[in-house]
Amino acid sequence: MNPNIRAGDELPPLKVPPISRTTLALYAGASGDHNPMHIDLDVARSAGLDDVFAHGMLSMAYLGRLLTGWTRQENIRALAVRFTAVTPLYAEPVCTGTVTAIEDGAAHLDVAVTLADGTTTLRGTAVVDLPAGREDDR
Amino acid sequence: MNEYEERLRSWVGRELSVPKPGQDPVNVPMIRHWVEAMADPNPVYLDEEAARATGRDGIVAPASMMQAWTMRGYAATVNPRPGAGDGMAELIALLDEGGYTSVVATDSEFEFHRELVPGDHVSAGEVVEAISPEKNTALGAGRFITTVRTYRDQDGEVVAVQRWRTLRFRPKAPQERPEAPQERPEAPQERPEAPQEREKPRALRPRPAVNLDNAFWFEAAREHRLVVQRCAACKALRHPPGPCCPQCGSFDWDTVDSAGDGHVYSYVVNHHPPHPAFDMPYIVAVVELAEGTRLITNLTGVAPEEVEIGMPVVLEWLEADPELTLPVFRPAAPRKER
Repeated sequence: MNPNIRAGDELPPLKVPPISRTTLALYAGASGDHNPMHIDLDVARSAGLDDVFAHGMLSMAYLGRLLTGWTRQENIRALAVRFTAVTPLYAEPVCTGTVTAIEDGAAHLDVAVTLADGTTTLRGTAVVDLPAGREDDR
Repeated sequence: MNEYEERLRSWVGRELSVPKPGQDPVNVPMIRHWVEAMADPNPVYLDEEAARATGRDGIVAPASMMQAWTMRGYAATVNPRPGAGDGMAELIALLDEGGYTSVVATDSEFEFHRELVPGDHVSAGEVVEAISPEKNTALGAGRFITTVRTYRDQDGEVVAVQRWRTLRFRPKAPQERPEAPQERPEAPQERPEAPQEREKPRALRPRPAVNLDNAFWFEAAREHRLVVQRCAACKALRHPPGPCCPQCGSFDWDTVDSAGDGHVYSYVVNHHPPHPAFDMPYIVAVVELAEGTRLITNLTGVAPEEVEIGMPVVLEWLEADPELTLPVFRPAAPRKER
């Protein structure tokens, strides 16, 4: 971890490829969240929706990737999000993070997932330890 | 505070699910599926050598997989069997009773205590932290339910804590919905471990023809009492409800509460015509109660091909919608496990 981290620093954004039905099928199996609303068009339509939509926790996991792309996973103390909008199929989520404060050896961050049309789908905060003298590998 | 409010509040601090180890310990195949689904290039999840090069003993699991280690699997998801003391099912039934039949997830807040490694066996227990007063939201009037899930390893050490908030709401009628629903304040997402819950209101069941002679029966049903009409003169039981005793002609009657035990007297399996309120096919049965009367009902928790005439069944309440509660029956003895 770079000891020169300061408030205002921006994390390298994580751009996720467009959400496809395959993405959702793979995530349903991998996460154990088999809610058919995310993988079965017939079920989504029977509930009055136009189509399936992405799992909220999939976007949260992408935020996890944003953080582990920046720090060692074991440094992540907390990740808290609010689900603010659905992620439709073909959306291209972009995960962003900004350091807002350094306190007690930890970086506090604002994180968000935003779509190309400007919709913010997740918004939240993270706390990441900044251990001294650790190599910057993951 | 009214009585319903008090019953809801009594859940705060209660345990919804007893900690139970996940189906499988942390393992490489599940990590591999996750890493592929997430297209995560970080080598520390699958490559032992790369993981050791970072100073670890070996590979570690992605932290975001925490919940995945405690999921119940697809079969249990689509065919849940709530056991005794299943607080979650009880709380959902209480919320259904209040009309809060739809759900969206609003917040997920994780604290991580340590990385998981293959061989760890994760359990999760869940406790209700807060139940909000009714709030008006864009989706409808509802209550925010906050629970805290504590994830522990095989030694009982906490590995992560997740605060999980859902909005349980009374869906607005279609004409109340906004014209352009693109801007929804919350993602309509269900609790990952309870996908059997209704996410959007489905079509309503056909309304029963309630009249002055049978209203008492439906009113009792809303209180989860299955009652049988009894002639006050000759004490003969009768069903369906009617104004006059078919045995002695008396117009005087009262009711007795059924214990809810019975057996399948006859049944049919309906495949057609489809109706949007029902999952096809469904079973329409004549159940003979231990008290002696018969009623037409549905069977639940049993496949059509497994139903047998004479099969013992027990009463269960179906909260079909906020206005309609119906008695249904499920097999009395657990079915054979495969």
